[in-house]
Amino acid sequence: MKPVSRRQFIQKSALTLAGSLVPGALALAGTDHASPSAPAGITGRIFKNTAPNRPWKWSRPADHTVPYSDKTLMCGICPHNCLLNSGDRGICRSRVNIDGTLYTLAYGNACSVNIDPVEKKPLFHFKPATRALSIAAAGCNFRCLNCQNWQISQVMPEDVRFHTLFPEQVVAAAMEKKAVSIAYTYSEAITWFEYMMDTARQAKEKNIANLWISNGYINPAPLSELCEVLDGANVNLKTFDDAVYQKLNGGRLAPVLNTFKTLHKKNIHFEITTLVVPGYVDDAKMIQQMCKWIVDHLGPDHPLHFLRFFPQYKLDRLPPTPVSLLTQFRQIAMDCGIRYVYVGNVPGHEGNHTWCHGCGKLLVERNGYFLAQNNITDGCCKFCGTRIPGVWG
Amino acid sequence: MKNRPLPNIEARIRDVVVATGIGSVVTQLLTIREFLSLLNGNELVIALILFNWLFIGAVGTLLAQPLGKNPSVRKLWAASLALVILAPVQLIAIRKLYGLIFVGGSSVGFYPTLMYTFATTAPYALLIGFVLPYSLIVLRKHIPGYSGTRIYVFDNMGDVCGGALFSFALIYFATPFQALAASHLLLVAALWGGYRTSYPKASRWIPAAGTLLALLVLTGALAWEIPTLRPGTGRLAFYQETPFGRLRVIQDQDQTTVFQNGRPIFFSKNPGAAEAAVHYPLAQVADARRVLFVSADQQMMAEALKHQVAAIDYVEIDPALTRVEQRFGLLAQHPAVTAIHQDGRQYLQQTQKHYDAIVLNLPEPDTFQINRFFTKEFFALVKTRLTDNGVLSFAVKGYDSYVSDVELEKISTIYHTARQVFPHVLMMPGTRLFFVCASRPLDPDIPTLLAKKNISTAYISGYFYGDIPLEKIQGLNQLISKTAPVNTDFSPHLVRILLDEWFRVFSASPNVLILLLAIINILYLWYISKEEFVLYTTGCFTMGAEILVIFAFQIFFGYIYLQIGLIVTVFLAGLLPGAILSDYLKKFATPFLITGEIVLTALMIVFLAGITRFPEFMTGSSFLVFGFFVSLVCGAQFPAALHLAGSGRPAAIRLFSADLMGAALGTLVTSIFLIPYVGILWTAVALIALKLISLTVLKMSR
Repeated sequence: MKPVSRRQFIQKSALTLAGSLVPGALALAGTDHASPSAPAGITGRIFKNTAPNRPWKWSRPADHTVPYSDKTLMCGICPHNCLLNSGDRGICRSRVNIDGTLYTLAYGNACSVNIDPVEKKPLFHFKPATRALSIAAAGCNFRCLNCQNWQISQVMPEDVRFHTLFPEQVVAAAMEKKAVSIAYTYSEAITWFEYMMDTARQAKEKNIANLWISNGYINPAPLSELCEVLDGANVNLKTFDDAVYQKLNGGRLAPVLNTFKTLHKKNIHFEITTLVVPGYVDDAKMIQQMCKWIVDHLGPDHPLHFLRFFPQYKLDRLPPTPVSLLTQFRQIAMDCGIRYVYVGNVPGHEGNHTWCHGCGKLLVERNGYFLAQNNITDGCCKFCGTRIPGVWG
Repeated sequence: MKNRPLPNIEARIRDVVVATGIGSVVTQLLTIREFLSLLNGNELVIALILFNWLFIGAVGTLLAQPLGKNPSVRKLWAASLALVILAPVQLIAIRKLYGLIFVGGSSVGFYPTLMYTFATTAPYALLIGFVLPYSLIVLRKHIPGYSGTRIYVFDNMGDVCGGALFSFALIYFATPFQALAASHLLLVAALWGGYRTSYPKASRWIPAAGTLLALLVLTGALAWEIPTLRPGTGRLAFYQETPFGRLRVIQDQDQTTVFQNGRPIFFSKNPGAAEAAVHYPLAQVADARRVLFVSADQQMMAEALKHQVAAIDYVEIDPALTRVEQRFGLLAQHPAVTAIHQDGRQYLQQTQKHYDAIVLNLPEPDTFQINRFFTKEFFALVKTRLTDNGVLSFAVKGYDSYVSDVELEKISTIYHTARQVFPHVLMMPGTRLFFVCASRPLDPDIPTLLAKKNISTAYISGYFYGDIPLEKIQGLNQLISKTAPVNTDFSPHLVRILLDEWFRVFSASPNVLILLLAIINILYLWYISKEEFVLYTTGCFTMGAEILVIFAFQIFFGYIYLQIGLIVTVFLAGLLPGAILSDYLKKFATPFLITGEIVLTALMIVFLAGITRFPEFMTGSSFLVFGFFVSLVCGAQFPAALHLAGSGRPAAIRLFSADLMGAALGTLVTSIFLIPYVGILWTAVALIALKLISLTVLKMSR
């Protein structure tokens, strides 16, 4: 044992004690989440050498490919801009470089097909009480810790059961089921962009509306192309804090904000959804900044949905969102000037209903996905005639 | 500073070894509970924590040989003092580092769990593994030829006392840091009493300062208790440790959430979940008079009372949970409601009442404890407690738009198991998947059924048809696998399937660990002597037998905390008399060792016959007797092996290590591979086979 002088001993003892006992150190305590020094981000990674040797039946060459060098190319569909060597698979798991050509592996292989009330998307200002044929193929460019559909968003297209439904078959199914719209939803449709685009083009020809339910993490060029065929969208604004975007979702804030601006500029009807996650997306100041940004850049007419969080998937050790917090955020948003602010996942809340921004009267009373009353006539308030933003016909 | 000859060295080191045993067992039990409050509490995680502890301990034991070249009492003193300081530091590290390394509020997968449990327990476990053999080395320096068995006995004495102290006293009265302080005070006293005289008078301030430092750390750590439990959002309104885990109540604005072992289990303003849990079964019963809930909250009771039920029995294993729910308005007292504090399965075995509906509100069946409520035998028991028109309902995690293959396997297994007993099983697939089971046809149109009973709801009336359309129910029924296994008490397939699901969620596979373990064990087995091999297999056998006994006991008698604690204690208690007995008979070491192998094999055969062929003779005490004799033989084998191996320093260290290595492997293999994959019968057979191999090795190498 090394000899230790009395002074050294006392010094070391004091330091050790300071580390464990000084009250200042207690400030470190009590942060079992939202710690500032927690991992910076959960962005996915490229999957090296996992591409199949050849395209399969549910492939087609991908759009928005940027040649890089020799057989290396960049996928330009989303802001991850994955640089893929031959044999690599993108972060989203559904786009692969096979021998110098970028393919989508999610084309015509729908793993989820359901008929949903349009209110479930949620879209409250788009043809209420109609039904949407909702489809998804596997893949997502995010890694949300609270993903509701991780079974299809966080897997490779080859690893799920699916229905063979090429675009014309999707449209035929929608017509057969008398669906007013087709919703590209559940997983992230950006990652199966070509499938969505080809289906949407054909749907448009048959007067079936196209709804995009998305995280909005898309590059400007494909978004512009998509806007040509879109009728409505619900895009997540998961938070207004870039660090939280990286930590909980594996994405960035700025590209999502650009998506909103583009949709607004292109006159697409869209609604915004924010899941209020306790400890991460529950800061009133942040919500106020977000709402101000919405009003400043998108105007007051795009409905905003605050959803109650429930613990699920990997984020299962947090409490649900307090209902009063959602009520408070709704008030903040309305005070900022947003005209239609909803509260979701809370049955019976007044924020389930639509109230006229002109006269304040109840326009649409909702009981879950059902409409108990609808006082909107020709897109206007039945009581005061104020035009209500949305697609009502 | 020169070492002076020390009077009474044996007594001084004995005191330290016993006190270290007490402190280390309490620290180990507290560490497991801490991890279960932070990490997924499935059977694999529990096994991993124990495995890490034992494995690192074995490495620490091996390190005593190279590091023990110049042994001294003072070094032992310093190492023991470090243990006292490390114990609370480890607990603080476990609580604090999680939020720094991982995203707070999230669960982590297999390898992060392995790394985290390994890294945070490594310093303490390594040191605790080191201290015991080092004590022997120091003793042998002063008393040449000192018996390793005696050290083993002292350690066991400490372990038994520590286990009993924690299980029967500290768990009821102390918070974790209080328990650490209480259990380590003896060690501090032993250190002070023992080592103060090893220093010349002029230097006695060193042990005095060390003792003071240890006391300050132990008492200072008490201040960390509450701050390290505070949530990142909301206010910690209540906190209690109970035998069943950690209860925390977090209040945030108008919401109260009860957390049990780190997971939110009840929260206010949650009508959707309460309506689904209650109305899916009760809507099926025209006139429900008597309802049984196995765990519930106020919202569920309120929904049940809408059906004009005359009596609600509410079974909750943890009385503290009921008190907490009542205190925070999550469970109001009502004349129709009777609270029963007992294991749900045990209650159903004992009651003669018949119910119109039995509603289980339980976590996922990913542990042996919860799996007991999802077996064919349990469903058969429930059926005998239902009225002719009665229904059983329970739920597991569901899915939104797509059911994965592993989820489908889980659902199919539960469905097939329920169908073994109930001719009609209705599945309602939402974010929670409800199973309603009955002896008569069931109707999936819940809103219409409720309308007929004039019952209004907030969630079901508006959301049911959108969330659970008939097509979704039909779709799931079409997907159900016809080859799924039946989950039984003795073959808990669901535990295995849920482990697979856990791996799938985190895109992980245990294969790397399995490969690594296989390589380490093959290399280890290659180099060890036959005596080490015997102790290695005995360690493996004893831990496997302990897990098997706890598993079987719960099936027979329910989860009874005190008796489970008693089982754990008898598995330690037999070591002591076994070692003493063997020490006296060390002249007959070889036949003793062989007899031990035969006795262990015979004991397991008798146990297996008892639980499978003669269950009516399996009383609670028979489990205790079995445990005691297994540990008795295990304890007896160590001195015999030590005698045969030569009793030298390296031999003792290697034997200590072999015992720990075997125990580590036995824990992991029994919990997560043998019982879930091959069932209790073949697990017992595998343990018997292990001992027969060991016996063969012993006989062949004589």
